[in-house]
Amino acid sequence: MANLREREDHRELNIGIGGDLNIDNLADDKSKLNFDTGKDRGSTVLGKEEQLRDKDMGPKAGSSIHRSLSRPQLDLSGAAIQGNFEEKDPAILLPNQSDDISHLALDIGGSLIKLVYFSRHENQPVNDRRRKIIKARLGITNFNRRSFPILGGRLHFVKFETAKINECLDFIYSKQLHRGGMDSRSWQTEGPNTESTVIKATGGGAYKFADLFKDKLGISIEKEDEMNCLVSGANYLLKAIRHEAFTHMEGRKEFVQLDSNDLYPYLLVNIGSGVSIIKVDGEGVFERVSGTNVGGGTYWGLGKLLTKCKSFDELLELSQRGDNRTIDMLVGDIYGGMDYSKIGLSASTIASSFGKAISENKEIDDYRPEDISLSLLRMISYNIGQISYLNALRFGLKRIFFGGFFIRGHAYTMDTISFAVHFWSKGQAQAMFLRHEGFLGALGAFLSYEKHGLDDLLVHQFVERFPMGAPYIGGNVHGPPLGDLNEKISWMEKFVLKGTEITAPVPMLSPGTTGLGGFEVPSSRGDSLRPDASKLNVGVLHLIPSLEVFPLLADPKTYEPNTIDLSDHGELEYWFKVLSEHMPDLVDKAVASEGGTDDAKRRGDAFARAFSAHLARLMEEPSAYGKLGLAHLLELREECLREFHFHDAYRSIKQRENEASLAVLQDLLMELDSMDEESRLLTLIEGVLAANIFDWGSRACVDLYHKGTIIEIYRMSRDKMQRPWRVDDFDIFKERMFGSAEKKPHKYKRALLFVDNSGADIVLGMLPLARELLRRGTEVVLVGNSLPALNDVTAMELPEIVAEAAKHCDILRAAAEAGGLLVDAMINVQDSPRESSLSVPLMVVENGCGSPCIDLRQVSSELAAAAKDADLIVLEGMGRALHTNYNATFKCDALKVAMVKNQRLAAKLINGNIYDSVCRFEAATSPSPSLSFS
Amino acid sequence: MESVGTEAANMGEREFKSCDRDDVSHLSLDIGGSLIKMVYFSSGSSSPSDDQKDSYLNDGTNTSIGTSNYNGLREKLHFLKFETSKIDECIKFISSKHLRYYGSLNPGGQDNKNLASEDNIIKATGGGAFKFADLFKEKLGIVLDKVDEMSCLVAGANFLLKAVNHEAFTYMDGRKDYVQINHKDLYPYLLVNVGSGVSMIKVDGDNEFERVSGTSVGGGTFWGLGRLLTKCQSFDELLELSRQGNNRVIDMLVGDIYGGTDYSKIGLTSTTIASSFGRAISANKELDDYRPEDVARSLLRMISNNIGQIAYLNALRFGLKRIIFGGFFIRGHAYTMDTISVAVDFWSKGEAKALFLRHEGFLGALGAFMNYEKNGFTDITHQFMEQSCEIAQDLVCKDEDL
Repeated sequence: MANLREREDHRELNIGIGGDLNIDNLADDKSKLNFDTGKDRGSTVLGKEEQLRDKDMGPKAGSSIHRSLSRPQLDLSGAAIQGNFEEKDPAILLPNQSDDISHLALDIGGSLIKLVYFSRHENQPVNDRRRKIIKARLGITNFNRRSFPILGGRLHFVKFETAKINECLDFIYSKQLHRGGMDSRSWQTEGPNTESTVIKATGGGAYKFADLFKDKLGISIEKEDEMNCLVSGANYLLKAIRHEAFTHMEGRKEFVQLDSNDLYPYLLVNIGSGVSIIKVDGEGVFERVSGTNVGGGTYWGLGKLLTKCKSFDELLELSQRGDNRTIDMLVGDIYGGMDYSKIGLSASTIASSFGKAISENKEIDDYRPEDISLSLLRMISYNIGQISYLNALRFGLKRIFFGGFFIRGHAYTMDTISFAVHFWSKGQAQAMFLRHEGFLGALGAFLSYEKHGLDDLLVHQFVERFPMGAPYIGGNVHGPPLGDLNEKISWMEKFVLKGTEITAPVPMLSPGTTGLGGFEVPSSRGDSLRPDASKLNVGVLHLIPSLEVFPLLADPKTYEPNTIDLSDHGELEYWFKVLSEHMPDLVDKAVASEGGTDDAKRRGDAFARAFSAHLARLMEEPSAYGKLGLAHLLELREECLREFHFHDAYRSIKQRENEASLAVLQDLLMELDSMDEESRLLTLIEGVLAANIFDWGSRACVDLYHKGTIIEIYRMSRDKMQRPWRVDDFDIFKERMFGSAEKKPHKYKRALLFVDNSGADIVLGMLPLARELLRRGTEVVLVGNSLPALNDVTAMELPEIVAEAAKHCDILRAAAEAGGLLVDAMINVQDSPRESSLSVPLMVVENGCGSPCIDLRQVSSELAAAAKDADLIVLEGMGRALHTNYNATFKCDALKVAMVKNQRLAAKLINGNIYDSVCRFEAATSPSPSLSFS
Repeated sequence: MESVGTEAANMGEREFKSCDRDDVSHLSLDIGGSLIKMVYFSSGSSSPSDDQKDSYLNDGTNTSIGTSNYNGLREKLHFLKFETSKIDECIKFISSKHLRYYGSLNPGGQDNKNLASEDNIIKATGGGAFKFADLFKEKLGIVLDKVDEMSCLVAGANFLLKAVNHEAFTYMDGRKDYVQINHKDLYPYLLVNVGSGVSMIKVDGDNEFERVSGTSVGGGTFWGLGRLLTKCQSFDELLELSRQGNNRVIDMLVGDIYGGTDYSKIGLTSTTIASSFGRAISANKELDDYRPEDVARSLLRMISNNIGQIAYLNALRFGLKRIIFGGFFIRGHAYTMDTISVAVDFWSKGEAKALFLRHEGFLGALGAFMNYEKNGFTDITHQFMEQSCEIAQDLVCKDEDL
């Protein structure tokens, strides 16, 4: 009687493979479908546009001496190198960068298509004269020290529903990705491509849809092994993206800094429709050791049958309001509310998932879909965690990385998985999640191209940006891209119509109302929701091969740029408030900087909405964009401005203040020259502090401006600089400079001055200090921003300012000439710079960033080169010396000078008050490379 | 034996006649989340056929093991179960049996003279032993002496494996093979008790064991989810449905993803299940559009396979070759056992074996019963041990009835 009627499938084994999970229908709302197209973000990080815009506008007021781009003494690269990528310069482009190389790879899963594509920096018309200079500079400098040149550009991550594969095809066609990308024109000049393009693809659909791609796009799909792709994608992300992996326990996300030399072995668990469990031992060395058929497809499939949800995300969202205790049989239900503590089971432990449904006379409609969804989610997540742990245990692996689109940054899911791993391993193993969780396969397929040029890229050469739409694309599926700025603005306008419902946090159940599918109650709650229920945002990866780690960092591995930890929610709220309050003023300035036209106003509105949306997103999920520090927040604002084509909101203010300050510079220099050396040094530092008050980034200072002229405020501030300052290492610095009874004076060989604001700050503060160092025989390198940020002075503006200042001062002029800053108008670019001057040079380099702060792990190659011989660093201003780098240690002497223009920061950082001064001097942590001579 | 499931509806109201002439003593209970398992000892003259009347939940799992003692009386261990939600039936039954000897302080057990009324104690285990303690006290005046659940499971399993020759069997491809286990070579093994939830216990000796793992995806999940999905009224109805189902309708197979081809590189054939219920995501179907049979089938495979996999992984941890599955989820259901066996076989590459128990559901109750032993009641086990051959023959006969 115990016969079997259905036996045909007995021998099949139920193991999951990484098909992918179905997704939502939010894609129906086309208004939300957007992402960075890569072509409306012309700004490269390294200031190309600055040059161009500058060019378009003609010579700036007050610049009587043309600045030069030539700083040959440094043997450095110029910003122009960046701008040159588009010019098909053979020295930079991949030698084989031609039609046969694709910039697109696909991972076609059971329910989602993941697409990774590469775009270069936008091709822009390049001025002939500039090109000439660049070419000449290239001839002189020997920038390209790499054995193999790398292409700079952006890596985009996009996904589509497999069911809507036509959208994907349209997308590829519209962006011409199958022909090598939008900017293919510039490198296809050698001959039109008529050959069939070969695109790498993985996932089951690579087989299933091969014919479709051939028919519609003429693309030949080259199938890549799925596991191989998953592993190489994961390996790459873990090595290349600084904060790719994070843990998630009890609602707390913590990014993990992995040592790429100590990455292997690990267990990779890819949760798609099914689950694959892979032991990874090295690059290309791996084994699929297990899997389970109970995966994302099970959650969504069963969930759909049980709840009638229309989308995966809807189901996921339901779970956030669920209480699984109505359906799950808990230990307490069996034991009458008691624990079975003898074996470590608490009353809230789930004894049997869905076990309560057996004993009650309820039908499916009698249960809340929310509760069903949560029970299901717990059951599946916990099960995956448990099976993963058991497999990790088999091989003695401590690290388990979970990827795949099932997770979606969903707090409950991650908490449940983490809990399972933590519980069963008794804390020995760690569950980690990946920000690019869903794109492992697609990225792996991309990397399977023989010459993708990404091999050599290192973690410091990636910058992730979140263009508008990024807050809303996390778990969502894209439709057509936002084509241009105009579309983006329209989208923002539509967005704001429904803005309240999109951005307003949804009140949730209080935490702890749900028993975990493990052993305790998770504290994760869905504090708020995006419509797509995703907690992760994947930005656009900018690959900037020229970025380098600042070589003078004492310990790059432990270096953390941010002084302020925004994981403290109070801190986060404060800075969000500051930024929000500052916004109307910023928008006014931005609009004015573009002539106050209707178009500028429209863009200004769009910017305000976009940035507010970013803030709202980060407010509800601080780590949505990765690890969040104040520097990131400030940079995000600048990026957002640039996204809406406000390239320099403070342009006119900066010019006005530069002019006003330059006008009084001569008086100041005379005053200084009348002093003896020691009091002059003190006055100079006081001056730097005093001039640092001119800061449009500080609300308090903006209010001051209306009360007097620049020189008045400057003198008044300087006079008020009563020592001792709140942090006062001046005497140590002075002794280092001038020596003492016991010590010989120290002569610095080269000083790097990281400058802050335009106007008085640079002209009356830092330039006189630079002059003093030059006078003492120290080479000075002014380090300015690559792109504008607030009223910070940029590297592009510095030569002009120096040139103007040189009119009043022979020391500066000689040094500027020696540094090549003044030669442009006088000599032909082919000439090598004159070495006639006896002065040590004054030079200008860009720092590689466009933010008021600086992350010294990612600086321009010219700054890195300039740092080689430097033995003194001066960091000036709040952004670079306090918000970031206050605790940074260097291989050489470092002076951090800033006036604190924020009460909260003053209280927190130095236990002081607003307008307190910081003069922090730290001797080299290891012997200085410089020579000391008296 | 009884046909499966059909009489389930009759369980409700039944008159308990005290027609049995048996002397019932030493009753023990395992009160789980969904089922109450009962073991009791009787000595009397009633025939085996009379015992059938006592079969509640007529699914073929209520049995008795008989033996003869030196007095010529037929002594039996009876195995019964009730639904926990219908605990009143269980209470009525106990009351109808006029259970006179509650075991403890009653050495020998056959001695009818000791009426230890102050010791109205029943050995009980399972969560319900705590939860329903007051109810028993109130209705029957019985005190439940709670015995640890895990030790009961282990004691029950050890007893069965030692005392009953053909207790354990393998099940592959519809073939049931009894396994003769050498008593001396019994340990260590992994005991997987699949009740509402699943406990996995490493057993190293008579009273040496450790609960090493478990999962909440168990019989309760099958039944609970199955009820929601199919509107079945009983576990057995659901099991019966699954026999007629085809999981390919709902499960996403490797072939569905790979366009009909295998992913043979990692050993996945096109009919391998990639994702249980994974097909339900893309089709525009609602629950009612699926046959309950297919749903039940997919569910059963999902859960059985999962239990088999986790059990194997735990066996692997401790280098155990034998995995013994018990608990009421299994119910001798061929497809369930087959799926579990295949999972263990696949993942262990044939190294580990899944074994099943004839008295799968009664491990806990039996273990609680064994606990009387500690109070001086030792003979029964010894008797059974000694006469195990006879019992085995008895069981084999019954098996042929199946």
